[in-house]
Amino acid sequence: MAEKKTRKEPAAKKDTKKAVSKATHAPAPAATSPDKDLGKGARIGVYICHCGTNIAGSVDILAVQEYAKTLPNVAHVDNYQYMCSTPGQKKIEQDIKEHKLTGIVVAACSPRLHEPTFRTATKTGGLNPFRFEMANIREQGSWVHMHDREGATAKAKDAIRIAVAKAALLQDLVPKSVPVTKAALVVGAGVAGMQAALDLANAGIKTYLVEKSPTIGGRMSQLDKTFPTLDCSQCILTPKMVDVGRNPNIELMTYSEIEEVEGYIGNFDVTIRKKARGVLTPAEAEARGIVGGGCNGCGDCDTVCPVIKPNPFEMGMKPRKAIYIYHPQVVPLIYTVDFDSCVKCGLCVEACGEKKAIDLEMKDELVKVKVGTAILALGYDIFPIEKKEEWGYKKYENVVTSLEFERLICASGPTGGHLVRPSDGKTPKKVAFLLCAGSRDNTGVGKPYCSRFCCMYSLKHAHQIIEKIPGCQPYIFYMDIRSFGKMYEEFYYRIQDEGAKFIRGRVSNVLEDPVTKNLYVMADDTLLDRPMKLEVDMVVLAAAVQPSADTDRTRKLFGVSCSLDGWLLEAHPKLNPCGTTTAGVFLAGVCQGPKDIPDTVASAEGAASAASIPIHMGEVELEPYFAQCIEEKCAGCGMCVNLCPYQALSLVEKEGRKVMQVTEAKCKGCGTCGGFCPGGAIWMQHFATPQIVAQIDAFLLGGEQ
Amino acid sequence: MREYAFFLGCIAPNRYPGAEAASYKTAERLGIKLLDLEGASCCPAPGAFGSIDLNVWYAMAARNLVLAEQMKKDIALICNGCYKSIWEVNHKLKHNKELRDGVNEVLKGIDMEFKGTIDVWHLAELFYDPNIVGVDKIRDSVKVPLTGTRIAVHYGCHLMKPRKERHFGTTEHPTWLEEMVAALGAEPVEYRNKMLCCGAGGGVRGYDLVHSLDITNEKMINLREAGVDALTEVCPFCQLQFDRGQIEMEEKFGVKYNLPVLHYCELLGLAQGMTPQELALDLHAISCEPFLKKVL
Repeated sequence: MAEKKTRKEPAAKKDTKKAVSKATHAPAPAATSPDKDLGKGARIGVYICHCGTNIAGSVDILAVQEYAKTLPNVAHVDNYQYMCSTPGQKKIEQDIKEHKLTGIVVAACSPRLHEPTFRTATKTGGLNPFRFEMANIREQGSWVHMHDREGATAKAKDAIRIAVAKAALLQDLVPKSVPVTKAALVVGAGVAGMQAALDLANAGIKTYLVEKSPTIGGRMSQLDKTFPTLDCSQCILTPKMVDVGRNPNIELMTYSEIEEVEGYIGNFDVTIRKKARGVLTPAEAEARGIVGGGCNGCGDCDTVCPVIKPNPFEMGMKPRKAIYIYHPQVVPLIYTVDFDSCVKCGLCVEACGEKKAIDLEMKDELVKVKVGTAILALGYDIFPIEKKEEWGYKKYENVVTSLEFERLICASGPTGGHLVRPSDGKTPKKVAFLLCAGSRDNTGVGKPYCSRFCCMYSLKHAHQIIEKIPGCQPYIFYMDIRSFGKMYEEFYYRIQDEGAKFIRGRVSNVLEDPVTKNLYVMADDTLLDRPMKLEVDMVVLAAAVQPSADTDRTRKLFGVSCSLDGWLLEAHPKLNPCGTTTAGVFLAGVCQGPKDIPDTVASAEGAASAASIPIHMGEVELEPYFAQCIEEKCAGCGMCVNLCPYQALSLVEKEGRKVMQVTEAKCKGCGTCGGFCPGGAIWMQHFATPQIVAQIDAFLLGGEQ
Repeated sequence: MREYAFFLGCIAPNRYPGAEAASYKTAERLGIKLLDLEGASCCPAPGAFGSIDLNVWYAMAARNLVLAEQMKKDIALICNGCYKSIWEVNHKLKHNKELRDGVNEVLKGIDMEFKGTIDVWHLAELFYDPNIVGVDKIRDSVKVPLTGTRIAVHYGCHLMKPRKERHFGTTEHPTWLEEMVAALGAEPVEYRNKMLCCGAGGGVRGYDLVHSLDITNEKMINLREAGVDALTEVCPFCQLQFDRGQIEMEEKFGVKYNLPVLHYCELLGLAQGMTPQELALDLHAISCEPFLKKVL
């Protein structure tokens, strides 16, 4: 079989080898080019893992072992209960010496689980670790064909035959190390981003914290109280906001967005758009030569501004001017001009006077920073619950969302903390809370997932109205109460004792009395097994959450995937929840999936820890799956340069002609260029054409030569 | 003039012949020619037949569809129950080959084959569609505007739901029928729980009259509170429930509403100048006189 492969190799190998090693800056020894000796004298060791009964339960291990012995180049075959155990690894290490093996195949689980384990064993045995190939006969074999022993066994044989074909042609490869810039980027300054930035900064890392709003604080700063402790959300958040504002290692960039991301782990070049906010900070004023000037947050401009707009921080229930701050505790305390509504009358400039803080001609500014790692903490939005028409949000005045309720019950909110009905300003006496509003919804209108914190904050809301409004009765319509956290179940019992009424059933319809503006909640009481109709003064929808509006754009800049519902995809849901498939980019908070505050902060600390590791290590090792240019064959057409999704390729002048050159640290080994190159001049290390062709042949020819 | 095969249904010709007459005449004034669909049977009723034997329901509805396919005309109809049967069976047979083959096996016995070549429309949606008639044309056709009257509308469940399969946009807060009422010069009136069922559908009227009237009663209470001169609908079965139901409610619950109930085609006929005699309004269980006095 090996002979067959050599037939397919590219010509002019010797020269190519020379050319490639000249073109790249790889550490000297790697035989990174096609070689006519490729696969010559290959002696492969094959190991079949039982994985207890995970594999052995559906695959005839001994039959597979006998089959493996018949394959070309196979010098040794063994099986073991658990190949990943220490004795299993020892087998590989000893056999390499004893049987003079040149390549190792382990038929076991997914390479995502144990490839590193077996590579280490291969290395310990004295071979280059990239001389190892894994055959997945568990996830793609025994588990999916659990009740088809014959089929699973046949498939395992196929997988091993394919792996052996590739293993015979594997080459020694040397991973590349790159230095890591000692700075980090955090995108989003809600509680997750703030916590991550503080952790990084306190670990001595220069951190750029970028926030699209004029102030940091995020959703948490909009909340009144937090469950189950009932402490005031702003009170526990503002100390962190102040810390962020003052930490010398944090460079805070509010009212800014990520514009462009280039580079790779250790060396990201990030362009940040500082949106024109029309107001100078004291530092910016000084830079312009205005001594003692810049915005001090006095608010004189706010007083004179004639333009009135709804304040998004108050969910539009309170006015703001065209020059504004969201609320008194903003960090940084710098006003912002909303240029979409500013009429440029200049009254604010006059009122600001000598401070000269306002510049109505300000333009967006692009700032470039270099960071080693990045954390995305992009947060969430409320699902547009008016899409669930049956509950009448935006049609009936007294139907509000939970976030609007937070502002209405909050002392710093539009009503000074007095809960009132939007229709007539009266204090409600009966309030219905509709849980799972748009969550756990399989109609195709809402979201199929659980938004996770609505049960708990609705319990808290019930508590708040019982506490604040004597005689006010909360009714909670629920499917089941998910009080999963520490002290949460106890909180649930407490609210029951306080007198909240719980009705298990989804609300089919909310109707409005056109005269009184009272609402009729129609539901099925599934505990009493009867339909019910309840007249209430107000309905609060615990609306589902969804990724924030900008999430999709931002994640694409960082090359991060998302799941079907838009939440960003972690590298592994259990064992690597903060990492992503892009090395050096991490996730914190709700952008990865709905989380309450404790979980959000925990995930932020996890992300900060993960993001600080490469920075503290100082360098990172990259897997050597780089593309290599076979300069002899390269025509310098440059088509690959534009195809590369990672900007890893460029054309350089060499010996009087143009050839392609790979920046290895940027190359992800995706193979786009290698598959396309019309001249076959690109050699994909570890996924080289002869290796892949050998695998295909091994599969299609069923082992025949 | 656009031509449609007119599927009459059962209740309109038997109980409210005025609605049938009005459909032919009003449609013609709006540029729609309704052709007789000869040999048509009952749709058959979706609740009564569908809940007992779906295959009978499919096959009978398919036979009616094939009659129209043979005429090479789309079907127009004026009853939500018929709409549920004829529209939905057409939709299902077009999208489910297995079902279509089964039904065609049955139809073979009468030398028929469902081919899926036509569409089914409620006359009201044809009236509303600006590409076919549209509200403006309706307004232009009015000779006796219904000015000064307050009219509530009832859409009916089978027309609007299930939402996923229908094409009317919002099913919770629709207003297109109101627009069509306003086009006649009347004032459309909102009332609580507008989208509640009339009480009759799904075989409930046949199975448990008191229960069904209970739902109707709730609607009537809400309508009384809103203060309306008449109720209009686009389904003779809803019409029957609201109209005759008022007599039954008086017998069973001792309540009296005296609310005139008119099919939209009857209302449109009045506005276009048809006489109450032409519309056979005297066959209604509840006298339309108080309403007519305001209009004529």
